[in-house]
Amino acid sequence: MDQDAARTARESLELVFQMSNILDTGLDRQTLSVLIALCDLGVNPEALAAVVKEFRRDPPITSSTPSSN
Amino acid sequence: MDSDHRVGDLVRQLVHHLQNTSSSNPNPEDVNYAIRILSSRMTPPSQAADEANSIKSRLAKQSKLSHALTFADLYSKFASQTGPGSVINKQSLLYLLKVISEDRVTNPHPKSRTDSCYSLLKNGGVLNIVRDPNNTVVRDFARLVSEESDVLEKDLVSDVLSVCEGIHGKYVKFDEMLDSYVLSESIKVSKGMRIMVLKLCELGWLFRKVNRYVCDDIGENVGKSFRVGLQDEVVEYRKLLTVLQSQSLNLSLRRLAVWFVEPMVKMRRMALLVDSCKDLKGGALAGEIHLHAQHGDPLLHEFMKLLLLKVSSPVFEMVRSWVMQGNLQDLHSEFFVSEQSVKPELLWKEGYQINYLMLPSFISKSLATRVLRTGKSINFLKVCCEDHSWADLAPSRGLGYGETNALESLVTEAEKRIDKHLMHAIFNRYKFKDHCLAIKRFILLGQGDFVQYLMEIVGPVLAEPAKTISLIHLSGLVEKAILSSGAQYDDRDILDRIKVKMMPRGVKDRGWDVFHLDYDIRVPLNTVFTESVMGSYLRVFSFLWKIRRVEHAVLGAWKTMKPNLISCHFFTNYPKAVGLQIVSTSRKCQLLWDKMNNFVMSLQAYIMFEVLEVTWAKFCNEMEASKDLDDLIAAHEKYLVTIVEKSLLGETSEALYKALLMLFDVILRFTSVADRLYEFRTRNTTTSKTKDAKTSKSKGLETDSWLNEGRKAVTQRAGEFLSIIGQDLDAVSKEYSSVLKGFISQLPTQRHVDLKFLMFRLDFTEFYYKLAA
Repeated sequence: MDQDAARTARESLELVFQMSNILDTGLDRQTLSVLIALCDLGVNPEALAAVVKEFRRDPPITSSTPSSN
Repeated sequence: MDSDHRVGDLVRQLVHHLQNTSSSNPNPEDVNYAIRILSSRMTPPSQAADEANSIKSRLAKQSKLSHALTFADLYSKFASQTGPGSVINKQSLLYLLKVISEDRVTNPHPKSRTDSCYSLLKNGGVLNIVRDPNNTVVRDFARLVSEESDVLEKDLVSDVLSVCEGIHGKYVKFDEMLDSYVLSESIKVSKGMRIMVLKLCELGWLFRKVNRYVCDDIGENVGKSFRVGLQDEVVEYRKLLTVLQSQSLNLSLRRLAVWFVEPMVKMRRMALLVDSCKDLKGGALAGEIHLHAQHGDPLLHEFMKLLLLKVSSPVFEMVRSWVMQGNLQDLHSEFFVSEQSVKPELLWKEGYQINYLMLPSFISKSLATRVLRTGKSINFLKVCCEDHSWADLAPSRGLGYGETNALESLVTEAEKRIDKHLMHAIFNRYKFKDHCLAIKRFILLGQGDFVQYLMEIVGPVLAEPAKTISLIHLSGLVEKAILSSGAQYDDRDILDRIKVKMMPRGVKDRGWDVFHLDYDIRVPLNTVFTESVMGSYLRVFSFLWKIRRVEHAVLGAWKTMKPNLISCHFFTNYPKAVGLQIVSTSRKCQLLWDKMNNFVMSLQAYIMFEVLEVTWAKFCNEMEASKDLDDLIAAHEKYLVTIVEKSLLGETSEALYKALLMLFDVILRFTSVADRLYEFRTRNTTTSKTKDAKTSKSKGLETDSWLNEGRKAVTQRAGEFLSIIGQDLDAVSKEYSSVLKGFISQLPTQRHVDLKFLMFRLDFTEFYYKLAA
């Protein structure tokens, strides 16, 4: 059963990835998987979209110094 | 808790992925930031139940139909997946994707600031400003444009405004060589703005030209009013500029261009006018402006009309004062009537003339001639007639441009009034007609009895050489003649004017050649009877006088030739042979006399009836019909010219005239021969009579010594004498007929129609015509 679930998950991810490509969102598989997980957990999709937008547009002011960790 | 932890983890991962940094751990601040965002919106948005359909329709709208079909396919597969491992919140996931993709479209990955703007524009320039709550894009664009120029637009606008007022701007200066305003190359201004500035400075250039003309103070009336009209426009224009100046903060160059459209049109027209009227003045200036006013555009037409109103008012004023009062105050010779100071006789002909250069084009030539004549009449009345009673009832209305009808009616009315007055003065006060008639009677020998008597008393005096004749003596004789004729009852004034004139005398001249009658004409009638006119009259007089003299001589010869008691007695005392000779000679003489008499009479009748009376009747009619002095002068000239031509004094008839004079000479010779014959006859008869009376005491009168000789001697002497006379008569007769033939043959070649009447009179039986042919 786990493999089925994994397979389903993989297929779903694949489908979603293709859909997102059609929609030209620019998200890769890993980011997409995280987003799916967060969405499933009930996070507001609007908020998620905002986060994505924020972190995409320009680096937030808080991270002016290059992370040298 | 677990889910929260899980969320935190996931968020951290998300941030990490999104940030694309090389470090493994994302910035905790970023994470916190992300969580803050996520937690700020806890309420789920209202979702459409069918996100998928909305996505599909959006794709279709974007004309990505293949994509839409694929998407539908995928979604159907996706939606069919249920069970573990599948996505639970499919709708929210789709919504998420949709939002991200929309976002992606509108906010692509930014590389730099300018790039963002350009890529904005790459999308067809459609800005999605709604999505941009801080209006940043527009501000970015403005900042971009203003980076290209050093100078602010505001400054340029105020520069242009000051240029248009004629003052130098800060950046825009007038270049003398190029004769235009330039924005110097060193100032960095965008090309569009540069072109715009230069276009607007054209207004400044036009204004400069107009202003220079306006400030030029040349003083003469029409030019001054033109300048005043332009000045008014300039004031209006300046007002506009001040208003714009106060508003200049709100103005851009483009708005300024819109404001300048109307003033530009007006200023262009004014500059055009200034150019074409540079050297003109007076009526010519007004005419030129009038030509420019023939324009269809109503705005321009109104503008030109206002200007013309001002410009033409001095011209109209001058016309009015000229037509009403005959005043010509024209310091700068702007009016189209020019004045010359001449003697009073020549006032009418040469005192005033039309200067066609100064005639404005809205006053027609015929109107101008009428204006001229009206003013001339007033001045004529003033100067020559010293008459001031015409200055009443003159309506003083102002006249404006475009009221050419009003001007015309004013001129017509003034003209009628003045002409009537002038004619009245000339005919009644100065008795023009009476003088004309007097001239006809005395100079043209119309008064028959006067002429006859004059001829009788003056004849013997004039036979002497001209030097010995005194003027006073002749004047006395003329006066005596007048008093014994029907003319003595005439107006003394007229009779006083008849004077004797003696032409310059040569050595051989007899009195006949130098005697003339003259009529004294004074102002104002000497406008009509000028020097040349009186000269023509004199020529006609001398011709008529010659005819009269010949006529008189011929009649005198008749007196001697007609059979009377004395001649009857004659025949009884002489031998028959002599008597026969005498008879034949007398017969010849009588025949010749008859011919000559016929000729002279016909000529006289022709002159009298065909020439003098006919033309006089025509002239009388025209005199009645003439409305002003010009007409009168013309009628009189025609009258005189017709007389001169018809009486063979014209230039075309010179040969005829010479022939006529020769004829007169011949006739006079004949009369002297006839006289000799008569003298011979009467002398003999009287001596015979006295001989009878004093038979015994005949002391012997000296003159007829040869009569006392024998009969034979008498016959011989008489025969000789008579044959001499006979020869003379023959010679005269021959000459006469030849000259007459020549005269008559030349008559048909004359062009004047009335000379045919002369020919008809002389030759109505065509006797001479047949003789010639």
